[in-house]
Amino acid sequence: MLHLQPQTLKKISEHAQAEYPEECCGIILSGNAVLDQSTEATQQEYVRPCRNVQNQRHADDPEAYPRDARTAYLMAPGDLLRIHKESEQENRPIKAFYHSHPDHDSYFSDKDKADATLWGEPVSPDSAYVVLSVYGGEVRDIKAFAWNEQQSDFVPVEILPVGD
Amino acid sequence: MAVVVRIPTPLRKMTQNEAEVEAEGNDIDSLIEDLESRYPGIKDRICDDQGEIRRFVNVYLNDEDIRFLNGRKTDVKDGDEVSIIPAIAGGN
Repeated sequence: MLHLQPQTLKKISEHAQAEYPEECCGIILSGNAVLDQSTEATQQEYVRPCRNVQNQRHADDPEAYPRDARTAYLMAPGDLLRIHKESEQENRPIKAFYHSHPDHDSYFSDKDKADATLWGEPVSPDSAYVVLSVYGGEVRDIKAFAWNEQQSDFVPVEILPVGD
Repeated sequence: MAVVVRIPTPLRKMTQNEAEVEAEGNDIDSLIEDLESRYPGIKDRICDDQGEIRRFVNVYLNDEDIRFLNGRKTDVKDGDEVSIIPAIAGGN
């Protein structure tokens, strides 16, 4: 189960729609626990959009990067470092990575799995992966996937909107 | 004083779970060789057979991606910080 605030879902949906027909990508950081009106502890969330540099890499080296940004994403290395530093310095763990699938459903593809695994291990085992399906510029569906140690695989997890 | 190297989660098994280690060298290449002598096998994870940094690995000197500096020949000096962060990528 992945708890996400409605505001977070709205922000990543807007990002996915703005980048359509290309894939968007970004990171959701979690912050300090806060009390909402129902006094249930929830966590602040920070949405950090990243630049998708897939088009640039594809143009520079089409053999190594056969896809362009319509069917792939690669987070800009500079954005990734900046967000990692924020995560460590501000104690905001990486809750999830997100990206969109323009004109495709919100599955976790073979490429998504392969790229989320490195040296036989998940790159970020405690972070979920959120995939937004965007058809015709409108978000149709959002799904989440997380590493399951027992199955040694990424499995679907339910998204539960919580908090403000 | 040496260079501080930030190790990504999937490689920490090789560094006894240390997130930060120290290494010495004049450039990224020699730094990786020094890491290899301390943590055998780590070079193979970071570099391909030709010794080039793997495509899915980002290496930064302080706040700069070394792709935009001098690649693995980028000079390093005492007090620098080198970060290794796996690329985040995918596609439908």
